Amino acid sequence: MPEHEQIDYRQMEAGYEFPPASYQVDSSMVGAYLEAVEEDSSLYRDSDLVPPMAIAAQVLAALSKAVSFPDGAVHVSQVVEFVDTADNRDTITSYASVGRMQKRGRFHLLSINLSACKDGDHVVFRGRTDFILPEKSEDSAP
Amino acid sequence: MLPELREGVSIPGISKGISQANVNRYAEASGDFNPIHIDEDYARGTPLGGTVAHGMLVLAYVSQMMTAAFGRDWLSGGRLDVRFRAPARPGDTISVSGEITAVDKDEDHSRVRCEVLCQNQNSEPVLTGVAEVKVKAVT
Repeated sequence: MPEHEQIDYRQMEAGYEFPPASYQVDSSMVGAYLEAVEEDSSLYRDSDLVPPMAIAAQVLAALSKAVSFPDGAVHVSQVVEFVDTADNRDTITSYASVGRMQKRGRFHLLSINLSACKDGDHVVFRGRTDFILPEKSEDSAP
Repeated sequence: MLPELREGVSIPGISKGISQANVNRYAEASGDFNPIHIDEDYARGTPLGGTVAHGMLVLAYVSQMMTAAFGRDWLSGGRLDVRFRAPARPGDTISVSGEITAVDKDEDHSRVRCEVLCQNQNSEPVLTGVAEVKVKAVT
């Protein structure tokens, strides 16, 4: 996702698929995440396991680089489902598609379905993220 | 790990202080550099009146509590469905708590459902939702 130009949220419709993004997990990425969230579980300290929320965070970050949200966008809800574990050095590919885009008055309700796979097609993460987006000023221009 | 799985059991909670440094570190780690999280001048000019933590940072604290309670079962069988009720801001202390509300057992697994809650230091809900985890039966 991040290698491509940003899409304006107003161009998106249900079914729109963002280009997938791939990256290799490494220990520095995991270490930075664990430090940021102040997580000291021995599960991660003594193994190559990757915290599943680190994968989720990367999926969301890739999405945020791929779409242009207006000022005032609110992240209202989130679903995360940890299907399987990932390890250091796994190559993760994240996917995102628009599940719902509705205009309600001066706002748009946007739901995006998310997933991440390792080893090509082995799903490790699924989720959904929901935003309320205020319309840009030019949305209401005559 | 939890000593027993039954309705009404509290999940040991955790407490996290949020600072701008925490938020900046999370932005670096996640790659989410939205200025509402990290640019204090920008954020002051928005309706939020200042920077706010990433919702995913607060959600990470919930996952941390569930990891401590359920171990590896959480990492490959956990699910969270939450609403962000209010922003968490630098200077806030977030208390994360949970309680088991249902346990469905079958031969190999128990499916455990929990209510989860994050509150700030004023007891205002910041995040509410449901966590579910598939726990392997101990043989």
